[in-house]
Amino acid sequence: MTSASGVPPLAAFVPLGERPFTRIRRVLARDPMAMVGVAIVVLVLVLALFGQWIAPYPEQGLGSPRPSLRGLAPGAEYLFGTDQLGRDVLSRIIMGARPALLISVFVVLLAMVIGIPLGAIAGYRGGWVDQVLMRVTEVFQSFPPLLLAMVTVAILGPSLVNAGIALAVSWWPWYARLVRAEAQSLRGRPFVEAARAIGVPTWRIIPRHILRNSLTPILVQATVDIGSVVLAAGALAFIGLGAQPPEPDWGLMVAEGRGLIFTQWWISTFPGLALFVTVLGFNLIGDSLRDIFDPRSVKR
Amino acid sequence: MTLFLLKRVGTSAIVLFSLSVIVFLLTRLIPSNPAVIYAGPKARPEELARVTAELGLDQPLYLQFFRYLGGLVTGDWGNSLATKRPVLDELALRTPATLELLAVAMLFALVVGVILGVIAARRPGRILDMVIRFLSIGGVSMPAFWLGLLLQVFFVGALGILPATGQFSTEIKYLSPITSVTGFPLLDSLLTGNWVAYSDGLAHVILPALTLAAYPLGLIARMTRASMLDVAEQDFVFTARAYGLREGLIRWKLALRNALPPTMTIVGLAAAYTLTGTFYVEIVFNWPGIGQFAAGAMLAVDYPAIVAITMLSAAGYLVANLVVDIVQARLDPRARLS
Amino acid sequence: MEVTQLRRTPRLTVALVLASAVVLSGCTATNNGNEPGGTTVLKVAASAAVTTWNPVTSFSTEALYMGNVYETLIWRNPDGAAEEFTPGLAETWAASSDGLTWTFDIREGATFHDGEPVNAEAVKLSIEAAKAKGGASFIWAPLESIEATDEYTAVFHLSYAAPLDLIAASTYGSWIVSPKALAAADADENYFEEGKDAGSGPFTVDSYTPGSSVVLKRYDDYWNKDALPYYSIVDIAITPDAVTSQQMLTSGEVDLATNIPLANVKTVADSIGAEVRTSNSPFNFVALFNTTRPPLDDPMVRQALSYAVPYDDIIDVGAQGYGTQSRAAVPKGIFPYSDDVPVYTQDLDKARDLLAQAGHEGGGFDLVLTYASENSAEANFVPLIKDAFAQIGVDVEVRGELFNQQWENAKADPASAQDIFVLYYWPTYSDAGADNLWSLFHSSEAPFFNLSYWKNAQFDTMIDDAAVLSGSDRAAAQAKYIEAMNLLVDQAPAIFLYDTQAILVSPPDLNVGQFNENYPFTTFFAPITPAS
Repeated sequence: MTSASGVPPLAAFVPLGERPFTRIRRVLARDPMAMVGVAIVVLVLVLALFGQWIAPYPEQGLGSPRPSLRGLAPGAEYLFGTDQLGRDVLSRIIMGARPALLISVFVVLLAMVIGIPLGAIAGYRGGWVDQVLMRVTEVFQSFPPLLLAMVTVAILGPSLVNAGIALAVSWWPWYARLVRAEAQSLRGRPFVEAARAIGVPTWRIIPRHILRNSLTPILVQATVDIGSVVLAAGALAFIGLGAQPPEPDWGLMVAEGRGLIFTQWWISTFPGLALFVTVLGFNLIGDSLRDIFDPRSVKR
Repeated sequence: MTLFLLKRVGTSAIVLFSLSVIVFLLTRLIPSNPAVIYAGPKARPEELARVTAELGLDQPLYLQFFRYLGGLVTGDWGNSLATKRPVLDELALRTPATLELLAVAMLFALVVGVILGVIAARRPGRILDMVIRFLSIGGVSMPAFWLGLLLQVFFVGALGILPATGQFSTEIKYLSPITSVTGFPLLDSLLTGNWVAYSDGLAHVILPALTLAAYPLGLIARMTRASMLDVAEQDFVFTARAYGLREGLIRWKLALRNALPPTMTIVGLAAAYTLTGTFYVEIVFNWPGIGQFAAGAMLAVDYPAIVAITMLSAAGYLVANLVVDIVQARLDPRARLS
Repeated sequence: MEVTQLRRTPRLTVALVLASAVVLSGCTATNNGNEPGGTTVLKVAASAAVTTWNPVTSFSTEALYMGNVYETLIWRNPDGAAEEFTPGLAETWAASSDGLTWTFDIREGATFHDGEPVNAEAVKLSIEAAKAKGGASFIWAPLESIEATDEYTAVFHLSYAAPLDLIAASTYGSWIVSPKALAAADADENYFEEGKDAGSGPFTVDSYTPGSSVVLKRYDDYWNKDALPYYSIVDIAITPDAVTSQQMLTSGEVDLATNIPLANVKTVADSIGAEVRTSNSPFNFVALFNTTRPPLDDPMVRQALSYAVPYDDIIDVGAQGYGTQSRAAVPKGIFPYSDDVPVYTQDLDKARDLLAQAGHEGGGFDLVLTYASENSAEANFVPLIKDAFAQIGVDVEVRGELFNQQWENAKADPASAQDIFVLYYWPTYSDAGADNLWSLFHSSEAPFFNLSYWKNAQFDTMIDDAAVLSGSDRAAAQAKYIEAMNLLVDQAPAIFLYDTQAILVSPPDLNVGQFNENYPFTTFFAPITPAS
């Protein structure tokens, strides 16, 4: 979204030469709210990595029904209660962390793989190449957000992987535009011109000079996007266009408990909370990073 | 200005055409046979062959494409596979409900978002700013379908002061039917002074609109805050302050007026997000609009409906962006150059 | 959470609205409450969308409305009723001993809603239209010709013996329609689509708002004065989403809701003090084995797997307990169902023994199972099959696909298709011999619904014979079918999972008639009355 709201390329505000991770770490450490975000994200990461050892009933988390335990209220044995198939809600939430993160990283990476080279070439080359590529991204961006993804899943058939592909299909233009803007501003920098002058071929200039120096804004964008993708994938699953039962997907779990919201409220409430908190974590970090890189808020 | 306009309209037309091509190609990727969906699983082979011919699926791809394009232009967008009625009729029937919901949500998001943004910008970094920042990031991070359920639990289940679902109570149709003026029922009930229907409709729209507003509200509040901070540094604000104008006047009139245009650029995008938000919010609140229909169409691979929904919302989005661009160009001549 | 409050509050809103209506709308005379002799309104939430109003081509969910607006010659009664059929537009009927000639005496004095008389000619034209262009035209395949021998006698000539009474009572393709409307529909294929009707039933279509509501009005000239509806208006809100219709019922917005999420049925019923009534339904689940290749081409392996399935748990999880274990794919209450047909019960030791005998000690093979991802019951119970098979050393890969896709893949090439196909099935009309047994298990060149790809000449002969017998001698036919079903269970080309039950949440303030599994998509509104 950064690129859509007409914000100038981030590269202009990033001191060249500083390693991106150092810079990001420094920025985050100054902002208490970002630290909350970091804490949330770390927690979710731990759940994603070690979920099967943390979850009290990992096999139920993955979907095995327990007919005799249907609809138990939260208590000592089942902290978040059980769902309409007798599965421990807490375990399902914990087991849901990994697919949620995996799919988001997959989407963001795939979107990068498509968007970054196109954007770099468009921005670096300029001219008709730029024109054509930008018209193409425009077409993709003229779908209201998520709609293209929904259509793609509808057509490929609903599943978590197809939802991932569909989201990437609608996400890559943001990276193309971001990188294009960076490339345009870097193109005229002396070190790039120097490289070109001594005959370094384009295919080496782009990765070495253009991409390396656009890394920080790309990473910032990726952080924000992981949160957005988790949310989008959850929304798709809620409609029925994402993960399918019995997968432990947070959006799907909210949908499964919807009819029981007035009586067995825990079935929908806790997975929704997990989704919300996770997205919030990424967005808190992203907002902080953007706040500091964005010229509009530099003067705070 | 005319040239700029022509150019923008021209690009939009090209984009729209490319869109129609993409959408066509996407629908031809459908792995299952649309004729089977149309005829139902128990249709016999002869029936299936008839439907295949009727839908033109037995023709070569390029002929299908021309038929499709011709249909788009002449307004024959085909029948929904699920309801067997023209998709354009189906959408026309549901558009007013969705637009009304969108309008209420966006109005709420704009007013509250701008107010919060201005308040946050007063003392950046202080506690109030932090709280509003947290709220707006929270709004942007909120799964709308979940928020809708929480609101139902609270306002319907616990307090019992608002209806859970629907656009109007069933009784309205008998007790105080709405006379159609504009075709927008809530607006019509207001225009015709039908207070019974109006208050009922208002009670029904509150929860879905609130749910839908969370995302744009957060976005608008963040954007307003940023542009208010931007404006606060400009000369005219210092001048005004030097002249001893009241702080409230400076903030809420002078600064805000200058901070609004950048905020407006994000409203188009926010509205587009909100439009896709109706897909699940309408499900949660059984709102009889396009969103619910669209979600159903996607699940059922009802491809004529999918095509129509995609094309229409993309066209709407394009037009909205076009309007924003033109308004901006009027306000700021520099924008015409880029 | 106070659930009873849920029901009370919106009632309060309505009361408020009513009060303010009186105050504010002195000029608009819109109030037509439920005063005696006046309008009585029944408000219903139902999922049924209308794909067509044409009773001839109708082959989908609009059967809900069709069954209240149109009539068949005869009605099939639910299982357990004293009589097999109830006369509809035919007063009496009889078959020749060879089952080839069927005579129906049409009721005198019945009229269609457009004023036309119901007579033999109308019957002839309706059924001929259904055979020519009905959505379910194939049910009339045995029919050669119809003769209106006089004003009120229609004689059906068949080319081979078939149970024409069952066919004439079908929920699809058997409605009797006014000849005037049939002619109009011939001239204009969209004649019916605005919500016109030309039936003879207790209700007429008053108004139709696509995707939102259908309003039915009592037909005061209905021939059966004993069955005249209590409610003069039935206002049906088309509510595809089950959770929403649940909310509408609990909030008192509707008096009756026909689809409530299975998992919530008990909660909903408790919250409004309703009774949960279960009855038979024609729907069931089967898991068809791919019998074309090893190891599933070996009946012993299929038997072993049939012993491994946790049937009770599957019913608990898939149907929230509202189901019964299937007997050879024929749904309970539908001809030729029989309690005598055996079932498998879970016995893992026996399953392991059988596997070992078949040369698969400890299992050790992999199977691919496909199910329709849009069917949440299947999605819910399929993991139980996987878990159970894992316990006997058989690894199952589960694939959820949209039904159409699942089906296309299965029909394409049996040799490379799935190993297990989970299918949700129901007969088009109440003859599960001619439909379920034949469609699912009779051998054929190209697969259609026989997705076990099973070829068994003995079974084919048995059900072919039974089908002929069913036209003349129902009992003999049933005996033959039972033989075939025993063979089916023994050879186990499929796992017969469970028959679902129809659930009705019967509100405390209404008397709702019995559900009829022969018209599974229809709720009959005419018999509904207030409780006191």
